[in-house]
Amino acid sequence: MKDARMLKRERFTPLTCALLALGLLLTMILCVCVGSVRISFADTVTAVWNALWGLPIPQNIAKNIILNVRLPRVLCVALSGAALSLCGAAMQGLLRNPLADGSTMGVSSGAALGAVIAMATGFTLPGSGYGGIMVTAMAFAFGSLALILSLAFALDRSLATSSIILIGVIYTMFISSVISLIITFASDHTRSLSFWTLGSFSGVNYDQVRLLCLALIVCGFILLRFAPELNAFAIGEDNARHIGVNVKRVKLVILITVSVLIGVCVSISGTVSFVGLVMPHIARMLVGPNHKRLLPASLFSGAIFLLLADLTARTLLSPIELSIGVVTSIVGAAAFVVIFCRTRKGR
Amino acid sequence: MSKKLVSLLLAALTLLACMPALAESAAVTVTDMHGREITLAEPATRVVAMQPSDCEILCALGCEEALAGIGAYCDYPASITSLPVVQSGAETNIEEILALNPQVVFMNDMGQSEEQVRQLEENGVQVVVSKAADIEGVYYAIRMIGHLMGKDDNAEAIVADMQATFEDIRSKSASEGKTVYFEVSPLQWGLWTAGAGTFMDELASICGLTNAFADVNDWAAVSEEQVIARDPDYIVTIMMYYGEGPTPVEEIMGREGWQDMKAVKNAQVFNASDSNAISRPGPRLKDAAIELYNMINGIADEQSPAA
Repeated sequence: MKDARMLKRERFTPLTCALLALGLLLTMILCVCVGSVRISFADTVTAVWNALWGLPIPQNIAKNIILNVRLPRVLCVALSGAALSLCGAAMQGLLRNPLADGSTMGVSSGAALGAVIAMATGFTLPGSGYGGIMVTAMAFAFGSLALILSLAFALDRSLATSSIILIGVIYTMFISSVISLIITFASDHTRSLSFWTLGSFSGVNYDQVRLLCLALIVCGFILLRFAPELNAFAIGEDNARHIGVNVKRVKLVILITVSVLIGVCVSISGTVSFVGLVMPHIARMLVGPNHKRLLPASLFSGAIFLLLADLTARTLLSPIELSIGVVTSIVGAAAFVVIFCRTRKGR
Repeated sequence: MSKKLVSLLLAALTLLACMPALAESAAVTVTDMHGREITLAEPATRVVAMQPSDCEILCALGCEEALAGIGAYCDYPASITSLPVVQSGAETNIEEILALNPQVVFMNDMGQSEEQVRQLEENGVQVVVSKAADIEGVYYAIRMIGHLMGKDDNAEAIVADMQATFEDIRSKSASEGKTVYFEVSPLQWGLWTAGAGTFMDELASICGLTNAFADVNDWAAVSEEQVIARDPDYIVTIMMYYGEGPTPVEEIMGREGWQDMKAVKNAQVFNASDSNAISRPGPRLKDAAIELYNMINGIADEQSPAA
C-alpha cells in the first residue's frame, strides 16, 4: 500500500514541479500588479514589457513604483524564499531532522549577529560598502552552525534531533539578546532592531537581486547536485558511508553552502523565520521524500509562500507596512501545527 | 525710646501679619497631566526627571541644581549627563529613585505601574505625571513644572517666547497646499514616518505645510510606493549623520525610483540637525520650528526669523 502510494507520487512529480513553476510565475505577476499604490494591470504589464525590451515607457505610468520599488522587491522576495526553503530542505535531509532550519538552528541569528557587529564596528571591505556586512554574516552563519553541531556532538554523539534543536533554540535566544545589547549600546540604529529580528524587504534594489540570484544559482546548483547523497543520508549516515559517500566531505560542503546562502539572505532582508522550516514539509507532502524532487519543489514553494507573505505585509494595512516576519511567523506556525497533526495521524 | 518701641511693635505686627501669607504662598498646588491634584508644602528643591523632555524643561527654567537624578535617555543639555542615572519606562527601578532621596519625581504614566507610584508616594516621594502630546501640552508641562519649582516667571517667559516664535513663523508662512514627508527611519531599515499627532506634524502646519502622511497616526512604518506616489514637495529626514558614507540627504537623493519626485528634482530634501529637538515635548521645539522654516524657505541660519 505504502509502496503504491510512493510510486504514484514519483510518477506525478514532473507535472507537480511544472505546476509549481507555473504557480510561482503567476504569483510573481500577481505580486507585481498588486501593491499599496493601485496601478492598473495594463499599465503594469506595459511598464514591465517595455522595460524588458528597452522600449520607451509612456509618461503617465508610475514606472518608478513598478520598476524600481515593486519589481526588485518581488524578485528579492522570491529568491530569498527559494533560498531559505532550499536550505531548510537540505539541512533537514542532512541531519535527518524534521525541525532543522536556519532559524531553529541559530544560523540565521548567527548571521544577523555578524551583520550587526559589522555595522556597529563599521567593518567594510575595500571597494564595496556592503561587502563587509555580507562576509561577516556568512562567517558568523557558518561559525554558528559549526558551534551548534560540535556542541551537540559533544553532548550527544548520535546527534539526536532533540539535542540539536535544544541547543539551537538556546543559542538563538542567547544571540538575540546579544544583538539587542549591541544595538542598545550603538544607539544610532535603534529602529534597526526590528529589521534584524523580524526581517524586512523594504528598500531592496537590483544590486541585491543580482547578488541573491548569483548566490542562489551557485549554491542551489551545489545543493541540487548533492541530492543523491542527501537521499543516502536519509536512510542513515552509516548506510551512506557503506554505499561509498564521502560523509565528512559531503557534510562540510553542504553546511558551508547553506551558511553562505543564509548569510546572503540575512544580510539583505534580516532574519525571516519559518520559511525554511515549514515549506520543505509542504513540498514533501506534494512530491515525496526523494531529494531529487524535494529540493526543486521546496525551492518553488518557498518562493511562492514568501511572495504571498510579503504581499500581505505590504498591502494589509496600507499605507502602513508590516514586518514580513510577523506574517511568516503567524502563517508558518499555523501551517506547522496542521502538518504536525496530519503526519501524526498518517502514522 | 518710645519711637523705637513703636517701630519694633510695628515690625513684629507686620511679621505676624505676613506669617500666614508666607505659609500660604509657599505651598504650591498643580493638577498634573494625569489629572491628579498635587500640593507641595513649598517649591521643590530636589527632583528626579525620568524623561528627556522634563530634564530640558527643568534646565530651561534654571533648575539644573535641583536635579538629583535623570532617566536613562536624558542627554540634553550635556551638563546633566554626569548626574546619577535611573532606569526609566518599563525598567523603572523604585530603589534607585528612593536612593536619590528626591522630593518629586517627574515621569510619564506609560511605563510605570500604579503599585510603583504608590510605593514612591508611601516613601514620601511625590510623583508628578508629565506627558505632552501637542504644543499646548508642552506649555502646560512648562507652567506646571515651573509652578512646582517656584519659577512661575521663568515658565511664563519660556512659553511666551515659544508662542511668539510660532506666531511669527505662522504669520510669515502662507499655506500653499505644499506637502512634507518626514522620514524617521531610512529605507535600509524600512521607512518610518511621523504621521498625525506628532510634533513634526504640528510644526509642519505652523510652517504652512501639510503632512503627506496625515492619514497615519504617530510614528509608523509606511511603504516606499506610497511615499513615491504621494510625491511630497519637501522631504525632511531626522537621521543623524555619523561621518561615513553618503549623508542622509545624499542617500535619499540617490535612491532608485525617487529621482522623479518633486522634492528630489528640486533638491528640497533636508536633514533636521537634531532629531530630539524636533520630536521631544520640550522648549527646543521652538528651535526645530525655526530650522524647519529656514530649510523650506532656503534661509541660511544667520538670517533666522525670531531667533
